[in-house]
Amino acid sequence: MTTVASFSIDYVQHLSPEGQLVGDKAPPIATDFEQLKKLYELMVLTRVFDAKAIALQRTGKLGTYASSLGHEAVHVGMGAAMKYEDVFAPMYREYGTQFYRGVKMSEVLLYWGGDERGSNFSGPKHDFPWCVPIATQNLHAAGAAMTFKLRGQERAAVTVIGDGGSSKGDFLEAINAAGAFKLPLVLVIVNNQWAISVPRKKQSGGQTLAQKGIAAGLPSIQVDGNDLIAVHAVMDEALKRARSGGGATVVEAITYRLSDHTTADDASRYRPQEEVENARRFEPISRLRKYLMSNNQWSAQQENQLLKDCAAKVDAAVEEYLSTPKPAVTDMFDYMFAELPHDLAEQRQYALEMENNG
Amino acid sequence: MAKITLVEAVTMALAHELEHDPDVVILGEDVGINGGVFRATAGLAQRFGEDRVIDTPLAETMIAGMTVGMATQGMKPVAEAQFMGFIYPMVDHVISHAGRFRNRTRGRMHCPLVIRAPYGGGIHAPEHHSESTEAMFAHMPGVRVVIPSSPSRAYGLLLAAIRNPDPVIFLEPKRIYRLHKEEVEDDGEELPLDMCFVLREGKDVTLVTWGAMTKETLEATDKLAEQGISAEVIDVATISPLDMDTIYESVAKTGRCVIVQEAPKNCGVGAEIAANLADSQGLYSLQAPVKRVAGYDTVMPLFRLEKKYMPSVDRIIKAVNETLEVS
Amino acid sequence: MKQFHLPDLGEGLPDAEIVEWHVKEGDQVTVDQPMVSMETAKAVVDVPSPYTGTIVKLHGQPGDVIDTGAVLVTFDISEDGSSQNNEESETATAKNAKTTKQQEDIGELINELEETLPKVAPEVASPPAAATREDSGTVVGQMESSSKVVSDVSTIGNIKVAPAVRALAKKLKVDLSQVKATGAGGVITARDVRLAAESGHAPAKKATPAQQSQLPLEAAATPQTAVTTQSPPPATATSIADGQWQQVKGPRRSMARAMAQAHAEVVPTTLMDDADINDWKPGQDITYRLIRALVAGSRAEPVMNAWFDGKKLAIRQIPHVDVGIAVDTPDGLFVPTLRNAEKLGPKEVRAAMNRIKEQVRNRSIPPEEMKDFTIMLSNFGVFAGRYATPVVTPPCVCILGAGKLRYDAIPVMGGFEAHRIIPISLTFDHRAATGGEASRFLAAVLKDLALPE
Repeated sequence: MTTVASFSIDYVQHLSPEGQLVGDKAPPIATDFEQLKKLYELMVLTRVFDAKAIALQRTGKLGTYASSLGHEAVHVGMGAAMKYEDVFAPMYREYGTQFYRGVKMSEVLLYWGGDERGSNFSGPKHDFPWCVPIATQNLHAAGAAMTFKLRGQERAAVTVIGDGGSSKGDFLEAINAAGAFKLPLVLVIVNNQWAISVPRKKQSGGQTLAQKGIAAGLPSIQVDGNDLIAVHAVMDEALKRARSGGGATVVEAITYRLSDHTTADDASRYRPQEEVENARRFEPISRLRKYLMSNNQWSAQQENQLLKDCAAKVDAAVEEYLSTPKPAVTDMFDYMFAELPHDLAEQRQYALEMENNG
Repeated sequence: MAKITLVEAVTMALAHELEHDPDVVILGEDVGINGGVFRATAGLAQRFGEDRVIDTPLAETMIAGMTVGMATQGMKPVAEAQFMGFIYPMVDHVISHAGRFRNRTRGRMHCPLVIRAPYGGGIHAPEHHSESTEAMFAHMPGVRVVIPSSPSRAYGLLLAAIRNPDPVIFLEPKRIYRLHKEEVEDDGEELPLDMCFVLREGKDVTLVTWGAMTKETLEATDKLAEQGISAEVIDVATISPLDMDTIYESVAKTGRCVIVQEAPKNCGVGAEIAANLADSQGLYSLQAPVKRVAGYDTVMPLFRLEKKYMPSVDRIIKAVNETLEVS
Repeated sequence: MKQFHLPDLGEGLPDAEIVEWHVKEGDQVTVDQPMVSMETAKAVVDVPSPYTGTIVKLHGQPGDVIDTGAVLVTFDISEDGSSQNNEESETATAKNAKTTKQQEDIGELINELEETLPKVAPEVASPPAAATREDSGTVVGQMESSSKVVSDVSTIGNIKVAPAVRALAKKLKVDLSQVKATGAGGVITARDVRLAAESGHAPAKKATPAQQSQLPLEAAATPQTAVTTQSPPPATATSIADGQWQQVKGPRRSMARAMAQAHAEVVPTTLMDDADINDWKPGQDITYRLIRALVAGSRAEPVMNAWFDGKKLAIRQIPHVDVGIAVDTPDGLFVPTLRNAEKLGPKEVRAAMNRIKEQVRNRSIPPEEMKDFTIMLSNFGVFAGRYATPVVTPPCVCILGAGKLRYDAIPVMGGFEAHRIIPISLTFDHRAATGGEASRFLAAVLKDLALPE
C-alpha cells in the first residue's frame, strides 16, 4: 500500500498575546508602524462603534444587531490586505473590513435600523451587501472571482464564513468550485468558536476547519485571528496568489466571539462566563497596543485622545443615522425591477393611496 | 430563413447573444462539449469556446450562487438547470438573492441573469424529470417567469430574457421541444415580456394556457370549432408578472374562461388568473364560473400513468361545455 | 395478432426505407432475431424481431419508405407468454429483450467481465440504434418529434402577423394596418413593428378599450346615452310601401307573438307619474339611474320583481334583479337581459350596456341572454312621448317606461321653478300585485330617481 495524498495544516502567529513578535521572520507590516497605527485606530473605532450600536439597540433605537467584539484584527487585517478593485462578500459582522473599504458607520446603522438604504453603501460599488442566508455569499464571491478570471482581470474576491457556516453546502460547493475552476478567491473561515449556541467541537469532526480546503485542492492555512500582523500577512499572500492566477486559498482565522451572537441572543445561557473572561486575555486590540507601546509608537495620552476622537466620530454617525428621514412607502416598489411592471404599478398606487388617506 | 424546432430556437437565441454580447456566458452541467442533454446548447462551446459555455461541477446550488455573483459584477450569465426536477437546490439563491439584490441595495446592484430549465411531463421519463412547478417561482417577488410555446416565441422571448436587466426563470416545455418546426429568422428581434399572446380569436369562450398545453388547447379549439363553438386562445407566456389586461379584454368579449395548466391545480398560476378575474371588472363579464383544467394535486406519476394525469383534449372540451351549459 | 409499428430509429426521424428483409411471411421467429434492415436519413439500422411468434404479414418491399409509427410487421404471437411486450413502449420492449438475451448468455459473458457492458454476442443482432448510435437528443425518455413545419401567422383583414408580433404592436401602440410588412409572404415582423414605433408613423388610433386596465369597455362610454339604441339610418331603404303582403319574420314575429300572449293573459294597469331629477349632479348616467331605481323599487315591493304563473296561480319572488331592457333596432324589438342589476355600479352598467348594444347590433347576442328577466324597462321616450301604457309580458309582473325628458314648471314655495322631469309609466299585472303595492313600488322608484346621485 502506498500513500497517494497527505496533508498538513500550518498555524501562523507573529504577535503573541503579550504583544511580542514571535515565530518566523516577521512580515514587512510588523515594522510599518505608520500603517499599524492607522489599523490600530480603525480597530478601536470599530469597537467603540460596536459598543454604541449595542447601546442603541438596548434603548430601542436600533433593531437586532450583530456585534463584532473580538473580531477586530480579522476584519481590519482582511480589509488592509485587499485592494479597492477586489470584491468583498461579507456575512453580517465584518464592519472593520467594510469601514476600511469606505462604508460609513451610519450605513451600518441604517441597515440594522431596518432601512435598505444602508445596503446602498459607500465604498466600492462592486462589494456585496450583508448576507443573511448562511454561506450563500461564498458562492456569490465565487461567481465574482469567475468573472475576474473570464475577463482576465487582476482582481480577487474575498469572502468570509463562520465556523458554523462552514458546515453548509454552499460553502462546500464554493470551495469545490474554487478548486475546480482555479478561481481568484480567498475564503476566510472566521472561527470564533461559536455558532450561536453550538460550540466548535459539535460543528465538525475535523481537527481543523481549514483542512476542508484540502479536499477541494486548495492551499489551506490557520492563523491566529487575534493577531493583526499574522492576519494581514496571510491574507496578503493569499491575495497575491489569487490575483496572479495561482488560484484560491482557505484561511481559518482562530478568534473568539466575545459578545452574544446578536443582541437577541443571551450567551450566558450556554457558555460559562469564565470561558469568556479567559478568552478576553487573548483579544486583539490590547495585544497590538502593547506591541505599539513597547516600541514607543503609542502612549496613554494618544490612547485617550483616540478614544475621544472615536466617540465623536461615532456620535456624529449616530446623529446622521437618527436624523435620516423615513423611507418613502414607494421605495418598496421602485427597486424591484428596472421598470415597474403593470401589476406592481397598481399595487404601488394603492399603497400610496393608503398612505395619503390613512 | 431557418425552419427550426423549439429547442433549436433556444440554441439560435443563445448563439445570437453569445455572438453579440461579450458579457453573456452559459453555464451548467453538460452544456459544453456535450451540447446539453437536450442539445439546447449544441455546438456553442465548439463555436464560442469553453470560457463562454462552461461545464460546471455537479452542484446546482453552486451554479445558482455563482450565477448571482457573476450577474452582480456585470456579466449576463445564462445558467441551465438540467431538469426542473433538479432546480430546487437553486431556489434559495433565486428567492433569497436574485429577486432581491436590486431592492436590497436600492439599485446599487442587480442581477441580469437567466436560469433556463426544461420542464413539464409527457416524455416517458424517469421520476423527477417531469416537473411543472412554475407557480413556485411566480410567487417570488423580483423574479420573472417566462414559458415559450413555439419556436418563434422561444427565440424572441429568450432574447428578451437575456437582455432584461432583472432575473428571468425561462422554462422550456420539453414535450414540445421537437414537436414541429417553424420558420424563424435569426434577426435578433426580441419579443415583449410581460404580455400574453392571442393565438386564436374567438367569441364564445376564452382558453388561457401556456407551455406544452398550448398543443392540447389548440387541438381542443379545432374540435370545438367543428361543433360551432369559437374559442379564443391566449398563451400567457410571461407567467409572472401576468398580463391580465389581455385576459380581461378577451373575457369581456366571450364571458367564459377556461384555464388549462399541466401543473397541479392547488395554488397554481391558474388560481391567480381566476382570482384576478373575480377581483376585478372581469367578474361582471363572466357568465359562467371560471374553470381550471389542471394536473391533479398528486405527485406527477411515472410515465405509465402520465397521460392520465395531464390535461387532455377531452378534459378541455368537457370544461368548455360546462361553461356553455350555464346560462 | 400483434402489430409492430416502425419505431423512431433516431432523433425524430420521420421515416425509413426498407433495405432488406431477413425473414419472410410464415416464418417462425424468436425475439431479437434479425428481422429487417432499414435505411434512415443517417445510416442503416438493423431492427430485430420484437416478439416470438409467426410472421403473418410484411407491410412493405425493399425500397419502400415506411413512416415512423406505421405498421411494419404483423405477428401471430405464440402462447408461451412472450407477449409481455406492450405496444406503448418499443424501447422498453427492446430493453426487456436485451435482458433475456443477457441471461442466456451469462456463460459467455463471464469471460468478458472486464469489457464494458452491455455487450452483445456477435451472432445476435444489435438492439435498435446500437449499431450506429443515433443522437437521441435526450438522456431520458422520448419525445414526439416531427419535421412538419407550422406557422401561427394569422390573417385578419389583410394583416398577416404572428400572435407575438401582434402583442408587440399592442405594447408599442402601433397600428398594424399602417405597418409595412417585410416578412416573407407579406408577414409583418417584429422588426417592422419596432421600426414603425420608432419612426412614429403608425400610431395606434385613440386608446382602444383594451389598454384600460380596470374597465375593458369603459372607453366607449358616453354617460347620458339613452337605453334604446337608435341605429344609423339603414343603407338600404326598408320602408318603401309597395303594397305587397310580406311575411313577418325574426324579431318582428317574436314581438307579434309575445304581445298577443301578453294581451291574452295579463291584466294590465298603468300608473303614471313624474320623476323630478332636478337635483342630479352632473355626469349622471340615465340608464344606470333608471336601473338602480328599479332595484330600489324591487326592494320596497318584492312582488314587483317576480314571476306569476297564471295557470297554477303561483307567484315566485326573485332575490336578484335581471332587467329585460327593450332595445329598438331597424329589424325590430329586442329585449336583452342585464343580469344582477342589484350588484352593478354605474361603470359596470355602462360597460354591460355597451356590450349588449354591440351584440344586438352584430346580431351576436345569444338567445339565453334574452330570456329570464325578472322586471322590464322601456326607455321609449327618446324622440317623443310622455306617458304610455307599456306592455308587460308574462311571466313578469311589471314594466317601467320612461318618456321624453323635459323641463316643466314646478310650484315651489314662493313661485315656480323649471325642473327637469322624466315622465314615468308603470304597467303591472293586476293578477299578481295590488294597486297599493304598485304605488309603493313607484314611490320608491321616484324617490331614488330624485336623489342627486
